[in-house]
Amino acid sequence: MSLLDIKGLNVSAGGHEILKGIDFSIEEGRTTVIFGPNGSGKSTLMGAILGLPGITVTSGTIVFKGRDITDLPVHERARMGIGLAFQYPPAVKGVRLSTLLDNIKDNDNFDLHVYSEMLNMDQYLDRDINLGFSGGERKRSEILQLMVQRPDLLLLDEPESGVDIENISIISKALSLILEKDKPLRKRRRSAIIITHTGYILDYIRADTACVIVGGYILGCGSPSEILAEIREKGYSQCMECYKDMVRGDTGGEQET
Amino acid sequence: MENKRLDEIISNENSRLEDIGYGGLPSCGNFLVMDASVLESMYAVDGLEVIPIFDAIEKYPRVREKLYFNLVDKNKSEYTRLASEAKPVGYYIRVEPGIKIDEPVQAAFMLGSTGSTQVIHNIIDLGQGSTLNILNGCTTSCQVFQGRHIGITEVYIAEGASLSYTMLHNWGENIEVYPVTGIRVDKDARFVSNYAAMTSVKKLVAYPTAWVEAGGSARFHSIIYSKNNSFFDMGARAVLEGEDSGAEIISRVVSEAGIVISRQMIEGKRPGCKGHMECSGLLLDENAVIHTIPELKGSHPDINLSHEAAVGRISSKELSYLMSRGLTEEEARSLIIRGFLDIGIEGIPPRIHDIIEDTIKKSVKGSV
Repeated sequence: MSLLDIKGLNVSAGGHEILKGIDFSIEEGRTTVIFGPNGSGKSTLMGAILGLPGITVTSGTIVFKGRDITDLPVHERARMGIGLAFQYPPAVKGVRLSTLLDNIKDNDNFDLHVYSEMLNMDQYLDRDINLGFSGGERKRSEILQLMVQRPDLLLLDEPESGVDIENISIISKALSLILEKDKPLRKRRRSAIIITHTGYILDYIRADTACVIVGGYILGCGSPSEILAEIREKGYSQCMECYKDMVRGDTGGEQET
Repeated sequence: MENKRLDEIISNENSRLEDIGYGGLPSCGNFLVMDASVLESMYAVDGLEVIPIFDAIEKYPRVREKLYFNLVDKNKSEYTRLASEAKPVGYYIRVEPGIKIDEPVQAAFMLGSTGSTQVIHNIIDLGQGSTLNILNGCTTSCQVFQGRHIGITEVYIAEGASLSYTMLHNWGENIEVYPVTGIRVDKDARFVSNYAAMTSVKKLVAYPTAWVEAGGSARFHSIIYSKNNSFFDMGARAVLEGEDSGAEIISRVVSEAGIVISRQMIEGKRPGCKGHMECSGLLLDENAVIHTIPELKGSHPDINLSHEAAVGRISSKELSYLMSRGLTEEEARSLIIRGFLDIGIEGIPPRIHDIIEDTIKKSVKGSV
């Protein structure tokens, strides 16, 4: 049984239809990377999976751990084991990072100091969440929160954007630890969906599958290295051509990239 | 001292007194008033004196002639006139020059009879280079539902002395409160006021004023949580009269109902004066009103005065961000409100800080 199973998902945001007939699934212990140009619906897909406000599922279902979560509120999905590292997390003035971590930890069976040291976040624990943080600090703060939250499905929205190479390395090591990349595949329990424009993160974290979203459609899924090589060579233009055909034919389903 | 009556009152009103921190901490002095009766007046440190104001006026010509109704004008309002005509009830706290005391003096003023008016007059007199913390609490007896409290406070902080003055108000829906406070901060002296009002009140009007001499500083920190039909007209004013004097006024208001007017003023008169104020309001309901009035007045070009003011609602982005971590909406709102009210007060003993934190937690928990 898949950890996450999405069928026929149509999603709108801000009065516009963004995702169209999405079918997508991910198994336990697997990592899927999602490629797509700006505005293709990648972040909307993550928002729909977590149930963020402003994102409306107009049809289709999202099943997580065998339960239909399509209508569950965001906090219940988080408690079931879905965690999102935001691309642009907001600052929360007055609430210290350590206070939030205290409130979201599922048990005391970890050493916060070890996690925060690994992410160079020790000195930020007593600061207001994300207030005055640089791009890299915000990304590290997001990953630290996920380390404490310990979700079974990690949604990582462009974890490497706006981050220098040193920070990508720090973030990737922490993510590899959460995703148990040191263990054989059959023993990993946590899964991840990673959105990336550039694919840089794949130099650090091995993904099992890659999918391409363009214009709200999943155009296809396959080998991450092959798809990335193709995108690097041809850009998304070839995918866009594919998308145009799809709209003309109104297939609404998957196509091979 | 009426020991039996004191024990009985402390026993009966234990939770009310605990809510304002009275009796819960080690202290160097205590002062407890119920209506117009002084029930407790003691001090246990050399160089400190905590006595009823009436006795101090009898004992010290300086109090009678130079401190009593000196910073507060007897004719300022009907409330000051009423206080000037009544037999003075309240404390006189004196610290001798050079004496530095860590443990706080605790004082509590309790309205014990429904329909009555309590009139209090306190004087604080810190000698040169001395240090003191005072934790004041004002509340009602658990059986009192309606009444009025008038409080005159005059504070004299001599050169190089330092006073941390914390006030917790815990009134009721039908109580009117009119504090009038004047503070003289001498050269290189320091005054920090921490004020918290977290329960309903019918009407509370206060606008303490500090006059600050060269090198001195005055800081006013206040947090207000307005509920029901409360009406607060609260603020602070600092008049920087000496060179290189400074002031900071930080006000945080959360309102789920009622009206809160928040007035702040800093006036810089001499070269090198610095002042900053922050007035922030969080509206939790469309029936709540917060009106902030920040004022800066400069009368010398070599000064630096600034302010920030903002009134708004809890950001939906912040709320959903916290909820995405697994917090319910109620938990997320509570965390944001508690964080908003946490103004990172510095310079007060950790135990007093804990009392303020507890007050915030209890209030927010019961409201969100």
